[in-house]
Amino acid sequence: MTVSVLVVDDSPMARKMLIRSLPSEWDVEITQAANGVEALAAYRTGRIDVMFLDLTMPDMSGYKVLETLRSEDLNCLVVVVSADVQPLARERVLGLGAIDFIKKPIDAQKIEAVLRQYGIVV
Amino acid sequence: MLTQDQQEALQEIANIGMGQAGASIAQVFDQFVQLSIPRILILDADDMAGALAKLVDGGQITAVRQAFHSHMRGEAIVLYGEQRCNDLADLMGYDQKLDHVAEIELLLDVTNILVGACLGGIAEQLFIDIGFSAPSLMADKVPADALLRAEDVSWSSALLVEVNFRLEKRSFACHLVILMAEEEIRAMGDALDRFLEDCL
Repeated sequence: MTVSVLVVDDSPMARKMLIRSLPSEWDVEITQAANGVEALAAYRTGRIDVMFLDLTMPDMSGYKVLETLRSEDLNCLVVVVSADVQPLARERVLGLGAIDFIKKPIDAQKIEAVLRQYGIVV
Repeated sequence: MLTQDQQEALQEIANIGMGQAGASIAQVFDQFVQLSIPRILILDADDMAGALAKLVDGGQITAVRQAFHSHMRGEAIVLYGEQRCNDLADLMGYDQKLDHVAEIELLLDVTNILVGACLGGIAEQLFIDIGFSAPSLMADKVPADALLRAEDVSWSSALLVEVNFRLEKRSFACHLVILMAEEEIRAMGDALDRFLEDCL
């Protein structure tokens, strides 16, 4: 079944790099968002199975997106992808319901490992 | 001077460098650091002083400069606002105000950590070598628009990469500015092209 993926990052370059790092055999439909507001709009419009979420963004940060998703009974898997490598940033997003935190620069193997761990890619 | 793609790549690379610098400074102060979105501007020498003043919202600033060289050459400047004095003493757990010498030493240390982590991170992603000179005090409590006046600089246009660090529970904040002259920007553009070829 096609997996619906939302890639959220204010940097078009970062979105391109992430999309390129997704497993090539993965059957996906990709939507992109440039900030938290757009991400929530995309989430509310259609089905999103997996969200790759940046933290530092204009017009609503990734933290705020996680808080909102949680208050709306989040039903997609959120993987945070951020350059903010402070241990506390990881702790906070996991506390807010993200399934994992992947550090930038992005590593394709790390992404695949997380997706396999959660049975999103088999 | 840089294409749209090169600028976007540089912004993302600077973002990652900033993240590494933020983590280093978080460890020094044992505080969570709020990061900003890096900004990339190419400015004429005439516009630089005004741009810096705008960054720090006016007021008096103290600036520490640190040159970098090897495959990437230029100067990093860390700008500290007026409040930094009491904040730093407090942050480091001192009961008394820091004397001036100790305060400047601390600012030099903080600058060294920020610049090393941020620019080191950028150079690493571009697969280029970088070396650093020792940081030195550039200006002590001067109006922001007095820094980098056109008559004081040797280039006609420069790349300004700006990242901000703000401690979540304190008022301490600083800005890191990377300045590179024209020919160095072109060399950086070539490195960015190689980066883009490799990763896209």
